Amino acid sequence: MIVVKNISKRFNMHNAVDNISFTVGQGENVVFLGTSGSGKTTLLKMINRLIEPDCGEILIDGRSIVDQRPEHLRRGIGYVFQNNGLFPHYTIEENIAIVPRLLGWNRDRIAPRVISLMEKLRLPPAQYLNAYPNELSGGQQQRVGIARALAADPPVLLMDEPFGALDPITRASVKKDFKELDELRSKTIILVTHDVQEAFELADRIFLMDGGRIIQEGKPEDMFDRPATQYVKDFFEGQRYIFDHFKNSQH
Amino acid sequence: MDQRQSLWEFMQQQSGKLLQQTIQHIGLTFISLLIAVLIGLPLGIYIARNKKAAGIVLGAAGVLQTIPSIALLGFLIPVLGIGPVPAIAALFLYALLPVIRNTYTGINGVDPGVKEAALAMGMTATQRLFRVDLVLAFPVIMAGIRTATVINVGVGTLAAYIAAGGLGEFIFGGIALNNTNMILAGAIPAALLAILLDFLLSLVQRTGSRKRKMVLGLLPLVMLFFSSFYVMPIGNTRLLAGFTPEFMGRRDGDIGLRSVYGLTIRTVVISDAVMYKAIYDHKLDVISGYSTDGRLQAYDLVTLEDDKKIFPPYYAAPVVRSEVLRNYPELAPVLNKLAGRINDSIMTLLNYRAEYLNQPPDRIARDFLESAGLYHPPRNGKKGLIRLGSKIFPEQYILTDMYAMLIRGFTDLEVDSKTGLGGTKICFEALVHQQIDMYPEYTGTALLAILQPPPALTDRLAGSRDSVYRYVSDRFDREYGLTWLDPIGFNNAYALMMRRSQAEQSGIRTISDLTHYLKNQK
Repeated sequence: MIVVKNISKRFNMHNAVDNISFTVGQGENVVFLGTSGSGKTTLLKMINRLIEPDCGEILIDGRSIVDQRPEHLRRGIGYVFQNNGLFPHYTIEENIAIVPRLLGWNRDRIAPRVISLMEKLRLPPAQYLNAYPNELSGGQQQRVGIARALAADPPVLLMDEPFGALDPITRASVKKDFKELDELRSKTIILVTHDVQEAFELADRIFLMDGGRIIQEGKPEDMFDRPATQYVKDFFEGQRYIFDHFKNSQH
Repeated sequence: MDQRQSLWEFMQQQSGKLLQQTIQHIGLTFISLLIAVLIGLPLGIYIARNKKAAGIVLGAAGVLQTIPSIALLGFLIPVLGIGPVPAIAALFLYALLPVIRNTYTGINGVDPGVKEAALAMGMTATQRLFRVDLVLAFPVIMAGIRTATVINVGVGTLAAYIAAGGLGEFIFGGIALNNTNMILAGAIPAALLAILLDFLLSLVQRTGSRKRKMVLGLLPLVMLFFSSFYVMPIGNTRLLAGFTPEFMGRRDGDIGLRSVYGLTIRTVVISDAVMYKAIYDHKLDVISGYSTDGRLQAYDLVTLEDDKKIFPPYYAAPVVRSEVLRNYPELAPVLNKLAGRINDSIMTLLNYRAEYLNQPPDRIARDFLESAGLYHPPRNGKKGLIRLGSKIFPEQYILTDMYAMLIRGFTDLEVDSKTGLGGTKICFEALVHQQIDMYPEYTGTALLAILQPPPALTDRLAGSRDSVYRYVSDRFDREYGLTWLDPIGFNNAYALMMRRSQAEQSGIRTISDLTHYLKNQK
């Protein structure tokens, strides 16, 4: 369970994150939705201490994140970047194995783990194990990025616009395989996006952000049925069709 | 008759020396490079993380880079003396900026997304540095080390000026002696060395990311290995002599000292710009100086009597293109106004004012002309232009300024001074190729460095002021269309010098005394 209490972050007199509090339950998938500059990425990076908040507190499973060394904290949290952030000088195998190696797993444990993840993410190991990231397409690179984040089986997964840099067809395909991963059951996932459709697809609960604050939180349908402000109403205006489409296709 | 050698013959004949200088040069290059890497790499890493310090460190290293190499050596001599230490220090300072800057640029150039990912995966700062930053910045860092290496091979030639050896000994000796073979024997290996090292490092730079960490570990060891090449020549006598590159290669220099006097003394090669200070500071005991040098007086040195007459006379006189004298007949009488007016002691005093009191040459020139009643205010004539050249030492500056004032005051000609043309070779070539119209030359230099007659003839001429003057003026006129005007009066001959106190204590008055003294010491 992740508990965030009253955190704020200022950059150059500008409130990137302004006194935000929320709780994410064990195994829950939440999506922070907002336009660029709404503070959602800053919020995400504060959870694994890539950015330190000016004030406030974050607890993971009851333990404050500042009570442990940042590198130890991060090895227990998967992180997926919009632009994959793969190491260009590492093979695909080495890229996926980064966190297990940092955790000191032995080779006999790492090798099968890497192969199993590659298979689940439809990256044929025989072909790609020893390839370098620049030999892969954008969609394949993002699959490696997801595999890397999941390699050490962390209980928490943070995803920063993970499908944002992909073209629509690739995005749909990567997203589909991602959603089907058995790995994700029981994982607490916090994903940030500006894509309303993605939020509807992946979220148990949506937090709509603007100007560093949470404007409204709730289940996807709450956003339509009970918009808290005019901003929320405007944000979802015209998205009703997409929402209905998902509701119908899911039920 | 003419004993011209091919470059190849010269290099074969001097192969022992050439090999020794090349090895010294490689050693010198790598010692300073190694220190620069050991200090520059961590410093570059540090400033890549502390952007506030970056400006200061890069600025300071950049300023060091802009100091002309000769000036940097000059700054270092009072602090570090002469020999290997200041040479290594200077090369180190030049190598520092490329190493620091490329390390800094290389690490900053690593994709910020990759760096952030490394942290997000849970790497510590140190793990990220060695597994990501340095490996990805490797080609840029190696490019910096390549630049530093090439700079060091080039600047390393200047080590010969301060008794630190290397290929500069041939280069500067050759320039001073007007010996093209000798220049090339130093310059070609230096150039090849730079190209070769640059090429080898370019192979290292292209190392694939797999092997980079290994290369980063091996490189210092390789540098250490090459550094060990640098061993300074160690002789067997207690006294240490510092001779100029020019003196080392002359019959009326080191060669004559060995063959005529049988003098064997531990010797280092050093620039005349620093050797007087070095002997004064007890870094050297014997130097090859010039008898009218002002520092003789300033540093309380004595000249040893040349009792076997190996140093020919060096009477100074203006050498002018004959064509210019024909075009402007009024010029020769004006230039000859100085003839016979400056004797040894006057020239020593004038040099003393320039070298020790640091007075500007034009002021010294004007003071002298005024006291001699030879100063006229400029007539600002526009009749024609006379281009004056000078070698790069104060006596020449003073004489050139005097001639400029005489021409401006007594004729309607305008003057353009091209001072500081380096050594004899550069001045003479400039004159022959009509880049300048005149410069002051010395009879002995013309004889031995430019004309280079067979040794038998040299020995016959040497010792007589007039016969040397007649011989050089005759051949200059016939072969080059150049005219020697009347000698100015003083004889700026070579001389061996010692500190007065040491010479008196050891009872050394002549060069023969010095030879005996050294033999008895053994």
